[in-house]
Formats: sequence, C-alpha cells, structure tokens
Amino acid sequence: MLPFTVELKIGTSVYEQLVYAVHRAIVSNQLSPGDRFPSIRTLSQELRINPNTAQKVVTRLADQGLLAVQPGIGTLVAKLPDPSPRERSDLLARQVEQLVVEARRLSLTRAELVRAVKDHWTRLSESSPPKGREQETSTEDHAE
Amino acid sequence: MKSIIQARELSRRFGRTLAVNGLSLDVPKGSIFALLGPNGAGKTTTIKMLLNMVRPTSGRATVMGTDSTRIGPAEFSRIGYVSENQELPEWMSVRELLDFCRPMYPTWDQDLCRQLVHQFDLPLSKTIKSLSRGMRIKAALLSSLAYRPELVVLDEPFSGLDALVRDEFMRGLLELSDRTEWTVLVSSHDIDEVERLVDRVGVIDRGSLRVLESVSSLEGRFRHFQLTLAPDGELPTELPDSWLLKESVGRSVRFVESDYREGTGVQRVRSVVPAAENVTASPMSLKEIFMALARTYRSEGREQE
Repeated sequence: MLPFTVELKIGTSVYEQLVYAVHRAIVSNQLSPGDRFPSIRTLSQELRINPNTAQKVVTRLADQGLLAVQPGIGTLVAKLPDPSPRERSDLLARQVEQLVVEARRLSLTRAELVRAVKDHWTRLSESSPPKGREQETSTEDHAE
Repeated sequence: MKSIIQARELSRRFGRTLAVNGLSLDVPKGSIFALLGPNGAGKTTTIKMLLNMVRPTSGRATVMGTDSTRIGPAEFSRIGYVSENQELPEWMSVRELLDFCRPMYPTWDQDLCRQLVHQFDLPLSKTIKSLSRGMRIKAALLSSLAYRPELVVLDEPFSGLDALVRDEFMRGLLELSDRTEWTVLVSSHDIDEVERLVDRVGVIDRGSLRVLESVSSLEGRFRHFQLTLAPDGELPTELPDSWLLKESVGRSVRFVESDYREGTGVQRVRSVVPAAENVTASPMSLKEIFMALARTYRSEGREQE
C-alpha cells in the first residue's frame, strides 16, 4: 500500500498525475517531512506502472526539493521548500487567471468562487495548516 | 541508447503465407517494449525468430549481442520466456518444477523465488497438470523470473487470464524492477493490460512493423480533433494524409491527427479548413491511439483486397 492517495485516470500522463498526487499529499499533510517515501519498485508495483516512469517522478520531486534521496537509507519527504518569487507570481498571474476565466465561463459569481477556494483550502489544510501560512489565511478572511 | 534486441529485415514464409515481412526493430536496454497487433499479425513468429525457435527465411537479428540463430542454453540462462501456450512438465509438482529449474541457472535467487511463490499463492505440492490456467501461467512466470533474467520475453501472457491473475502477474513481473539491467519485450493484441507499463511500442500489421516509437512521442503526435463548419462552409476534398478516420455528420467534423505539433497544431487545421469553427484538440490515451491505428490498417487492408 502507498502512504498517499493516488487515482490514476486513463488518457492523461501517469507522470503528471503522480507528481501532482504527491504535491497534494504533501500540502495536505498526508505525507509529512521525514516520512519515508516508497521505493521505485514499490511505486511501480503498487500502481502497475513502468519503473522508468516511477524513477522520473522521484527525480522530478527531488529536483523540486520535495523529496530528499538519502543513499543507503532511502527517499524521505523533505520540508516544503520556500517558493521562488517566480513560482509565486506564476501561481497568482497564470493559474489564478485561468481559474477566474473558467469560473466566469461557467457563470459562477465571485462569492461562489471565493467560497469554493476557501472550502478547498480548508479541506487540504484541515489536519494542520502548512507552517508560516496561517497569516495568509487570516488576511484572506479579512479581505472578504 | 544501446539496443538489447536488433532485428533487420526479418522475414518468414510458411508455405504461401508471408507471416513476417521485412521487419526491423530495436528494443533499447532498460525499456519495457510492447509488440502490439491483432491476432495473426506475426507477433509470435517474430518472437520465435528472435529466440531461435523459428529460422528466418531472410534477414537477421541479434539478441544481447548474439546472432539470433546461435542462441543456445548459455543465452537462455539470461532470458526469461513465457508464452501463451507454454509447455510445462505436466507430471511434476510445482516444487519439483522449481527444483528442476534451479540448478540450470547460475543466477537463481531463492529469496525471490520464495517471495513470488507467496505472492502468487502457488500450491507447491500440486501437480502442474491439476493447475488452473491462471496458476499455470503464474508457475511459468515464476520459473522464468527467479533467476533474474536480463531480458524477459512474454508472448501474449495475458490472454485468457482473469483480471485478478493479470494484476498479480504484472505485480510479480515488476518485482524485478529494482535491477538496473532489465528489459521486457511483451506481445499483446490488446493494449489494455500493458498501457501503463510500457514505454515503447511497436505496432505490427500483416507481418510488417508500422509504428516503432516511444509512448511519450506517440502521445505527443496524436490528437482527436473536433470542429464545426461555418454555415456556408465546406470541407475541402483534399485533406492531409495524417488525418485518420475522418467522419462528418451535418456540420460536425471529427478526425484523428497523427502528426500534431504542440503550438501550431490547431492553426494548421484552420488553414486546411478555413470554414472551421470551434476547433478542439484532445489528447488521446495509448489505447485510443492503438484503436485508431488498428481501424486505419483494417480499412487499408480492405481496400487492397
């Protein structure tokens, strides 16, 4: 069994889906810093995926600083690295814009979108909010 | 990338039938390669030629650096081979089969063997004769994996197996994946079982290889297009050859683009069909790509007859 939730859908790249699933598991604290991350063999066996794909996923996550590969010990979940200014502006400019466009296309009201964002925020950080981010949550509450 | 299997212009004739016709392929070391094609396309004959079980009428192949016509016991101790109609000594028990195989392979890994027996839930004291089809194929796989072969060749291993056994089979196969030098060649008429497992595919149709490509390149160049024609617009009579399975109903047009380029793909469709509106391009799964190819080849085959 894998220590995080992943549901692979047919038709989109397994690699992308798995990288996303691990990101999700880490921000939602399903995986915590210091936890042991499954080996390539376990990942590929449990998900019945190509070991080369599993290897690519681990390499990518390690490059992003989410996993630390410790020779002789295995792979551990790392502390969430501080985002680069570029990553933050990317999220706010590009992905939030896409979300707003999509919401307007579907004729959602602003309040509906804000509520949906808040609901998802809460759902993902229920167990314990990522450290250093509580401040932002309260600012956001304030803004509404 | 280094190839563990290289075939050049392999052909095999059985009487009047040309079962394999000038087939060339490379299987890179470390890949999981699927040879896909409908029943009777020539998959088994190709595999048998690669493993020196059938002589090619013409052409040649090398496997792990050895000419395929010289492959013998020394090479077979490094190859794991399981086929749909695997012959096993019927009168032996599973334990006897394993005891019989072990001394033949210098690299036999008894721990891996025990682990697979447990994982496959194999009854050691039962005779091969009394095993179900699923159990037999698991016993065959076990006796071919326990010596950690460098090359695993599986000919239609999944046909006639239920979903649970297929799943156990794949899990068992992946038991070997912590080894660095490990290559798999698997043939199948159905992409379903191997979709997530493979990274390269060869598609064989009436004895010839039609596609030899990595899965990521295939997924990149295939898109399913849908568009609507403007009210007074028409579809040009000449459409690109790369557009497969063209269909139109009223003003809706659908086709599969087999030469899609990221960034310019949609523009290209607009320039071919100026009357196109609402052009959408959706990515396709390996299964959908395989089905689109199979349907295209089948209609080509009908035209030739």
